[in-house]
Amino acid sequence: MRENLTKEEESFLAKWLDGTISDATLKELVSEQDFIDYKKIKNGLELLNELNRPVAPSFNTLYNSIHKKRNFKNTQASFKWGLSIAASILVVLGCYFAFNFEEITHETSYAEQKTISLPDGSEVVLNAKSAINFTEKDWRNNRTILLKGEAFFKVKKGSTFSVQTPNGLVTVLGTQFNIKDTDTFFEVVCYEGKVSVTNNKKEHVLSPGNAIRKIDGKDSEKHDKENSLPSWLNGESSFVSVPLKYVILELEKQYNIQIDAHRIDDSIIFTGSFSNKDLKLALVSVFKTMDIQYIKEKNGVLSLE
Amino acid sequence: MIKDLNNICNQKVFEKLFNIHAKDLRRFLFFKTQDMDTAEDILQDAFIKLWDNCNNVNPEKAKSFLFTVAKNMFFNYKKHEKVVMNHQKRTLKSSNYETPEYLLVEKEFLVKIEEAIAALPDKQKEVFLLSRMEKKKYKEIAEILGISVKAVEKRMHLALLEMKEKIGNV
Repeated sequence: MRENLTKEEESFLAKWLDGTISDATLKELVSEQDFIDYKKIKNGLELLNELNRPVAPSFNTLYNSIHKKRNFKNTQASFKWGLSIAASILVVLGCYFAFNFEEITHETSYAEQKTISLPDGSEVVLNAKSAINFTEKDWRNNRTILLKGEAFFKVKKGSTFSVQTPNGLVTVLGTQFNIKDTDTFFEVVCYEGKVSVTNNKKEHVLSPGNAIRKIDGKDSEKHDKENSLPSWLNGESSFVSVPLKYVILELEKQYNIQIDAHRIDDSIIFTGSFSNKDLKLALVSVFKTMDIQYIKEKNGVLSLE
Repeated sequence: MIKDLNNICNQKVFEKLFNIHAKDLRRFLFFKTQDMDTAEDILQDAFIKLWDNCNNVNPEKAKSFLFTVAKNMFFNYKKHEKVVMNHQKRTLKSSNYETPEYLLVEKEFLVKIEEAIAALPDKQKEVFLLSRMEKKKYKEIAEILGISVKAVEKRMHLALLEMKEKIGNV
């Protein structure tokens, strides 16, 4: 086995992660420092998994210990809590499903915008190719929304309003703000009131005019926006120092077109805006200024050179 | 059963609070204790305390209540540990601090890993997440993505190389 594992073998790290080859074998293949680094990353990954594992089993344990303590605040409630362990697990599952069934989802497709009124009168404007998801029940006390994509929020004063996105958590009391969250692009802009943004366990508080963003896994950066409303509400997409690939993505979403950018460097930085209503004008304003040629192929794909 | 949706004594409210805060609290406690089991124990105790005080705590204040209680419990645990250590006259801890097995895991390091994963090229990231987070075997990943096992292994290899590069000297 060991004789076969020469340096040319380009997958020994994969085999090591998988447990097919041992620590000792890896030690022979890389320097001592490298081995320590790899080992640390591997441990870190396992730990991340541990930290992210579901909390449901942990709730069952808690449920049972509370049940044992018989520390009930209310006689009727104690009847519920006093059921057998097996039944209590059923109740937990029941609650879980009951919560899930009441979820409401709104989605937009390419080139589409949608305004949604929430039960308390707050408003969400969804930009193209985005989705929100929330539970209507008990909305006044638990205003939590899941968001994918980009949306503008006008929040009525009340309990804490939270928006959970894959990249971070945004919480406010009553205000106006915009969130854009695509895989590796996360931006929150505050237009009124105060907004708290938590991502990577760091909390940032934004005041009107402040924005925070995080691109491609780099550190979060704060900057200022002068507009009083997000430009896309007025049919324009605008960008300040954003890698071109995100501008291309937005073009694709707004016009439902496909753009082939493999011949150009899409990491160059773009500042400017394009219209969401006139494709020709949009293409001119993005690519002419960057000195990029675009040709429409027979299959409808727009290719850049 | 208490129907008031603004009262933590309502089972549903309590469960919901658990679902919202348990993960963050567990993470917070892990970085303090450096031990998963201890973190889980304190997590349980903190929520029991919340239940005991369910009539006195406003749901909006539950988070700060939980974190404060957990922090105090952690300090008490540390105090207790110190007493135990002194009692044993420091016969413990002869482990070699140079080996990678001895690791003080810092939050920043895990954040770096998360960022390094996020920054991977899409193809590598896809394979890497399926393997490391979803715990799929290389063969299964190959089937899901319709590529060869060799290609999966190659992407995994490159992904780890790239991550190490990105994270730098750990």
